[in-house]
Amino acid sequence: MDRLVVAGREFNSRLLVGTGKFASSEIMAKAIEASGTEIVTVALRRVDIENENDDMLSAIDRNKYLLLPNTSGARDANEAVRLSKLARAATGINWVKLEVTPDPYYLLPDPVETLRAAEILVKDGFIVLPYINADPVLSKRLEDVGTATVMPLASPIGSNQGLRTRASLEIIIEQANVPVVVDAGLGLPSHAADAMEMGADAVLVNTAIATAEEPVKMAEAFKLAVEAGRTAYISGAAGAGKRASASSPLTGFLRDE
Amino acid sequence: MGVLRVNGQDKEFAAEKFPLTVAALLGELGVEAATVVAEVDGQIVEREKFTATELRNGQRIELVRFVPGG
Repeated sequence: MDRLVVAGREFNSRLLVGTGKFASSEIMAKAIEASGTEIVTVALRRVDIENENDDMLSAIDRNKYLLLPNTSGARDANEAVRLSKLARAATGINWVKLEVTPDPYYLLPDPVETLRAAEILVKDGFIVLPYINADPVLSKRLEDVGTATVMPLASPIGSNQGLRTRASLEIIIEQANVPVVVDAGLGLPSHAADAMEMGADAVLVNTAIATAEEPVKMAEAFKLAVEAGRTAYISGAAGAGKRASASSPLTGFLRDE
Repeated sequence: MGVLRVNGQDKEFAAEKFPLTVAALLGELGVEAATVVAEVDGQIVEREKFTATELRNGQRIELVRFVPGG
């Protein structure tokens, strides 16, 4: 498979994996391994000082995987910028998945605050991967302020509804000059393959892997689906038609006409 | 006696036990420093500065770390 390039850095895998919702850190680590991913997302939260427990993420080898902190929980640009700076202090790297989701019911991203935060963060030297609704105009605006990717949603986070924003995703992919990472709502490997066949540069999956009965096997299924979809995309799909088109010769039948 | 507001909760310390640095506070709370980033009155304190960063009565401390997320 051809390589994904984000902000000048090359990746062999086009599947990004979220680390939330796994039943244990052991299953999480095995699923990450099986997915073939090289980029895993994490969140930043207060330490529970009353109930100090183990660091769930110690199972992730930070030499092998790029830890991509998200700004989940941020309700506006200022909170997202604050979280980004804390994450940078924690990782020592300046990559951030920017998400500003003031509405807890659908967790849809706020486009105005996301754009505002992206501008501030890019100026501050961050490599910004913004999570957005599938809005082609916003995608261009973010690209213009210097984000490294755009990450439009397929459907609401964790909903497993698949490509509900297909028409807008197609426009975003057509117009983008930065990698398009379809994020959120991909519930099945076929959804991921579909997005990749459309020309998405990568996908991000968390819930569909983490909450499967067998997360490690599902991680592998998504790996294969992403590879299949990407390979199909670069192979140039034959178009669909209304009528049949025989695959076998229409001559030499064993009958007399 | 001294008070620090840690992650939104007031923590009271007897005068002789007041943590004089971020590192001392983490020790007092039993929090592993290796995975934590701190903010003192809104200013980020990197891990390597935990022992050098002095604390004063009444300061607001945030202690954060990475957790699983999507």
